[in-house]
Amino acid sequence: MAYKKILVPLAGSAVDPDVVRLAVSIGKPAKARLYGVHVIEVRWNLPLDAVLDAELDHGEELLASAARIAAQSGGELETELLQAREAAAAIVDIARERQCDLVLMGMPYRRRLGRTYVSRTVEEVYLGAHCAVLAYRQEASQ
Amino acid sequence: MADEGERHGRAGMDRAADGSPLEERTTRTGALPGNRYVRIVRPPEFRRGRGGMFVATDEALKPQTSAGRGYELLRRILFGPPISTEHELSERLGVATGLGVLATDNISSSAYSIEEVMRVLALAGTGALFLTMPIGIAIIVVLGIVIISQTQVIRTYPGGGGSYAVAKHELGTLPGLVVAGSLLIDYTLTVAVSTAAGVDAIGSFVQPVFEHRVFWGVALIALIMLGNLRGVREAGLIFAGPTYIYLLAMLGLILFGAFHIFTGAMPPTAVPPNPFPSTGTEALGIFLILRAFASGCAALTGAEAVANGTPSLRPPEARNGVITVLLMGSVYGVVLFGLTFLAAQTHALPDVKEQETVMSVVTRTFVGKGAYYYLVQISTSVLLILAANTGFTGFPRLASVLADDRFMPRQFSFRGERLAFSVGIVALAIAAALVLAAFGGSVTNLIPLYTIGVFMAFTLAQSGLVRRWWVRHERGWQWRIAISAVGAFATGATLLIVATTKFEYGAWMVIVMLPLLVLLLFAIHRHYSAVADALVIEDPDRAVLRPTVPIVLVPVARLDLSAVRALGFAVSISPHVRAVHVATSAESATIFRSRWERWSGRHLSDGREIALDIIESPYRALLQPLLKYVDRVDERDPRPITVVLAEFIPRHWWELILHSQTAFRLRWALLFRPNTIVIDVPYHFSAVGREEEAPVRGA
Repeated sequence: MAYKKILVPLAGSAVDPDVVRLAVSIGKPAKARLYGVHVIEVRWNLPLDAVLDAELDHGEELLASAARIAAQSGGELETELLQAREAAAAIVDIARERQCDLVLMGMPYRRRLGRTYVSRTVEEVYLGAHCAVLAYRQEASQ
Repeated sequence: MADEGERHGRAGMDRAADGSPLEERTTRTGALPGNRYVRIVRPPEFRRGRGGMFVATDEALKPQTSAGRGYELLRRILFGPPISTEHELSERLGVATGLGVLATDNISSSAYSIEEVMRVLALAGTGALFLTMPIGIAIIVVLGIVIISQTQVIRTYPGGGGSYAVAKHELGTLPGLVVAGSLLIDYTLTVAVSTAAGVDAIGSFVQPVFEHRVFWGVALIALIMLGNLRGVREAGLIFAGPTYIYLLAMLGLILFGAFHIFTGAMPPTAVPPNPFPSTGTEALGIFLILRAFASGCAALTGAEAVANGTPSLRPPEARNGVITVLLMGSVYGVVLFGLTFLAAQTHALPDVKEQETVMSVVTRTFVGKGAYYYLVQISTSVLLILAANTGFTGFPRLASVLADDRFMPRQFSFRGERLAFSVGIVALAIAAALVLAAFGGSVTNLIPLYTIGVFMAFTLAQSGLVRRWWVRHERGWQWRIAISAVGAFATGATLLIVATTKFEYGAWMVIVMLPLLVLLLFAIHRHYSAVADALVIEDPDRAVLRPTVPIVLVPVARLDLSAVRALGFAVSISPHVRAVHVATSAESATIFRSRWERWSGRHLSDGREIALDIIESPYRALLQPLLKYVDRVDERDPRPITVVLAEFIPRHWWELILHSQTAFRLRWALLFRPNTIVIDVPYHFSAVGREEEAPVRGA
């Protein structure tokens, strides 16, 4: 199946470069548009549109880095920065707004209580997104 | 969720939104009730940098018009893509490339310095050429002293500026500026002499080049300028290769020649087209010998280039600088000694008309006119030309240090898109081309001007270091002071010899130019100091003063949309607005007044009316009556004057020639008028003649 619009949520984890490269390779045959999005989660004691300098700097940096990786892999990543109370809800909404046909989520390999851990954001996007969701889990050795 | 939320940047400290026009925040409602998120949208021309600052992206640099895009493409082809400031470190030079860039002048001097010695000695007859070898050895000894002194300069002042920095900090501003002036002159001469010598070397085997040497010299300067405008590293990559080819060719020639000499298989010595006669025109006296030594000391120019350009080397700059300067001295010493030895052993004669170089004669003697001959000649020519690159490395950097110290125009400290000091590079190219043309492209004519500056710099820098070690008693000061004192003495003595012996042959020009240049540097500094004093904010706590409401004058040539727009703006900033019209005849004045009176827009909403003054100019002059009118208003009214100019902007730049540009000329005329603010209200014209919204510019 050829995807035309792929959303890549980026959290700044070690898996981000792999996910961006994967998105480029999936999107290349159909010349898909790639959207990289980072969501700054705002605590409930602050207004939703509060200016959070440190988080903005971090977000800008990781988006710029992802765009560079995409360019090196031969693709183009349009980046966007969001602020929301919950990252998952914003990812689901932006995927709907952008009419994406695939959300490509990255998961760093982590274990908790003897089981491989899947974050709540991944879980909620998986359950809530209108389109296809592909979760890429990092190799155990990494 | 906790760790995921943290990675997504959960809020810490908050501050109020700053409402910057470069960041738009829109709150959107999500699909589920209660879901909201904020989109942070930035224009593509800017991205957010650290600490809430904005950084202009490549998009901001993209030209908007097709002419601009064409110009940009041409610039990219000539100079390459822009390099961002954060990549400055990767643009630095390593030791190997640094040697190729910073040492070309010094190393290439070996190609002609010994010839200059021989040309002076030959004035006393070819028999006097037996002194070539002893003078060559004396030059190598001075070179050794200079090189050791330079390592001290680099270690003490790794921040660049070389001899200028040492002299300024240790001896004071005046000695510092003397050094700076000397080096600026010398770098200019380096470019001129190197290019002339390179053209001469090519002219040795391509006659048409010799016949048009000024043209070819200027063309080569332009070419090297372009290479340098591409940035230090790229220039280094272009210019380092020929240095190593030259060194290998020279070492090969020296070894081959030495083998012939020591095995007694000396081939017959080649003769240049116009050899010096065996009988001389001057007596072989001490003055002539010293003059020959002074001419050969041209070989030492460029030895200061590494100290001056240390910041262009990779970290640790000082260590790399010292390695580079030691390598340069060693390699150069070997080549100079080898060539002097070959020239002395073969009894090669210089050419009276400079048609063939001694190097060419020596090479021809050993290898004939085969492929190796051309390799030597071409590599020498290329290196001599590229030696000019040392000037292009040193001059702009020194000029930037002087500009930072406010002794040269600030433009010299500005780095272009390729991180090169573009203004300094272009200024040097122009100056060197003028010098080259003025001296007819002759190396022999240029050489007497050369070397005074560099020895002045060496002497003052070493004297400065002597003072430093003496006053500060830093670690190892005893041996350091000994080295610097020997250096100061040796270079000072050489300076005296060079200045005395070359005075009547052209050195006087440098001796006259130098104080004038120092005065100019002082004058520039005085201007910048006065400006800084005038502009300084003495009380940072003082609130911004609200200016008095001005009297606004609006020159109106014709009552059209452009004028109406300017008048509208004028009444928005002050209630005291006067329109002024300069009429070229009584009839046109009457016509304008009747149009004005028919125009109801002159009546303001509060019942007032825009005042109109009509000036008839019987000689049809526009600017002078207007300027006098502004003067008279200013005399009678204590309020500041603001002149609002209606300016019609055509759709294409070439349509400007169809309009008189009176507003432009008036703005220029009012630029230097005190107590006057000039505001330009542009009226942009589209193809269909409709008004486009345009911002108001203040001038």
